[in-house]
Amino acid sequence: MSKTIRLAIALFFGLAVSAAAQDIKVGTIFPLSGGAGPDGQSVTNAVKLMVEEINSKGGLLGRKLVLVSKDDESTPAVGVSRANEMIAEKADVVVEGWNSPVTLAMQPILARAGILDITAVSKSDLILSGESNPLAIRINSSNGFDAAVIAKYVADTLKAKKVAFLTQNDVYGNGFQTAVEAEFKKLNFAGQIVTTEKFAFKDTDFRVQLTNLKTLNPDAIIVTNSSNSSGLPALVDQYRQADLKSAFVGAVGIMLPTVFKVAGDANNGIVSADIYFADLPPFNGIAESNAFVAAFKKAYGVAPDKSAALGAAALQVWAHAVETTKSLDRKAVAEAIRGKTIKGTLFGDATFLPNGQLQPRYVVFKVVDGKTAKLEALP
Amino acid sequence: MTAIDRHRVNGPAPWRAVGIVALTVAAFFLPRLFGGTSVAYSTLTTIAIFAVMCYGIDIVLSYLGEVSLGHTLFWAMGGYAAANLSVKYGLNGWTTALATIVLCLVAAAFLGAVTLRTREFVFSLVTYAAAIVAYEVAFNWDAIGGSDGIVGISALKLPFGFATFSGATQEELWPIALALLLLTLLFIARFRRSRLGTAALMVQMNPALAASLGIDPRKVRLAVFVISAPITGLAGWLYAYQRAYVGPDMFETYFLVMMLTAVVLIGRRILLGPLIGTAVLIVQQNLLSLGGDWNKIVLGAVLALVLILFPAGLVGLFRRLGMRRFPTKELKGETS
Repeated sequence: MSKTIRLAIALFFGLAVSAAAQDIKVGTIFPLSGGAGPDGQSVTNAVKLMVEEINSKGGLLGRKLVLVSKDDESTPAVGVSRANEMIAEKADVVVEGWNSPVTLAMQPILARAGILDITAVSKSDLILSGESNPLAIRINSSNGFDAAVIAKYVADTLKAKKVAFLTQNDVYGNGFQTAVEAEFKKLNFAGQIVTTEKFAFKDTDFRVQLTNLKTLNPDAIIVTNSSNSSGLPALVDQYRQADLKSAFVGAVGIMLPTVFKVAGDANNGIVSADIYFADLPPFNGIAESNAFVAAFKKAYGVAPDKSAALGAAALQVWAHAVETTKSLDRKAVAEAIRGKTIKGTLFGDATFLPNGQLQPRYVVFKVVDGKTAKLEALP
Repeated sequence: MTAIDRHRVNGPAPWRAVGIVALTVAAFFLPRLFGGTSVAYSTLTTIAIFAVMCYGIDIVLSYLGEVSLGHTLFWAMGGYAAANLSVKYGLNGWTTALATIVLCLVAAAFLGAVTLRTREFVFSLVTYAAAIVAYEVAFNWDAIGGSDGIVGISALKLPFGFATFSGATQEELWPIALALLLLTLLFIARFRRSRLGTAALMVQMNPALAASLGIDPRKVRLAVFVISAPITGLAGWLYAYQRAYVGPDMFETYFLVMMLTAVVLIGRRILLGPLIGTAVLIVQQNLLSLGGDWNKIVLGAVLALVLILFPAGLVGLFRRLGMRRFPTKELKGETS
């Protein structure tokens, strides 16, 4: 080989390496296939949109962002492999997490490799326990906050005297019920919990439980059901068929688009709460949120749902922290987020608790028209 | 091919020993050969751990001719033993490994005794039911982790008297995973030549001959099933330290499909079959992935084609293509 060719090759590789070193790598790990595939794709798309937006404004620290997206297939073992790939590709930040077990499996791997890890959606309380990742950050709300807002609505707004639980029998459902009961105690709730009916995640027939509830006729029934494409729409339908007079109070975040699509008008009157709505106040008054919604609609033809907003907010928060610290260091950036307030996100001013949890702003709503998923914000 | 045939094919013993040592040393440096990146280490460590997991089910599948759908139970048992004992009681790796072996032996003895009279479909069904029951228990029992599982598993600590090995990263765990794999291979190789191994084959292939030699088929079946459990269990034990998180997902069909496919893909009763099968599957998933949905479609199609067209696995395919590396006399005794 002649010297010139060797030199050319060396130069080429040298240039390639230095060009790559200047890019900042943003990784995402969400389910992109299987049942949760569409959800994970929506979150990934939102992150992609934010990456493009930041690049169009000149990037971060004068460097361009590149996005690396991976599919965890909703399987912890696969998520671990993807996390290891992120380490090999030297990602500067990883936004991840649709399923809690997948997040919990990936956390220690990323933390040990010193990669900043922001959990967008997974809700388990263990994620913020600090055992696997002492610098954990999460955008979605936690069960504890969710329970407080529901308990407050039932006790103070509804002033219910008799309350019943219709609870999914697993850590999510039982954990939520325990937290609501604890909140009732804090509020000195004068009412009475008349019964608890339980069911399994996969159940689609709730008629026995609903018949029992009808006999007791409570003022409010607090419902947890995370099977949003089959179990919950079936429950809503059967609830209407059984003609219960009790208020249906859904746990935070269960009223997803699939529920409206399947159960339609049967959803009318359901009260629930969530932490992001593109077209309800206060979010329709936040410029960043409106800009994100418009850009998302333009790029993908649909309005972004809450999880898309969580993914986009994760990247916004990280980008702001990188700009303030002028650093990509995991510890420096994480400490600029944990316990701090970050202005100008699509959630408005985003305040993080010292454990890395974003302080959520809830909107309690009532379903006005289930067919079109029209909601009305309650005071 | 039978266990006995294979060993006659090989060369004289001293050369084999040298060859094995050379291969072992080469295997140790394999991650560096692939660039020494964390992906190389994690992929190879995962292959070693999953291969050990497969060898447990391989003994049952290859030598008893039964399909156990319950080996995820032993896999999870190892994981849960390591996680619970190290997080809650701070026990070291030796103790958690010992606990894994004891728990797996007890569980397998019970399950083996219950399924002693069952064959084929019923055996598969009962072992599957056992795994489902165990999954429900693990999912709902908060004391051992519940549906969220256990986080914060610290680095694997193995005190050797004079020094303590401590491994948390993929690089540090690679030698342990390799050692576990080599011990497993040694054990399987010995098992194939042992009285139990040959008796098991005889019971499976020629029950009349076994009976005439005074072999009690039920004793043999129970013994083989019981020794298979701690192999898969120890793989789960190391997996807990590799991942630092254990949850009910260890019962997922992902692992069961991995075990069965890795064994069937290459061909049963081949010493390195499960290892090669695991390596092919993991490399495809991690490095040549077509995306989650397509991976499953391709894997399912390949598995179906292999089972329909080449029931003896890919080795059978090579033989049909006329490759002479596998002497034709080994075909004798092939039942599938």
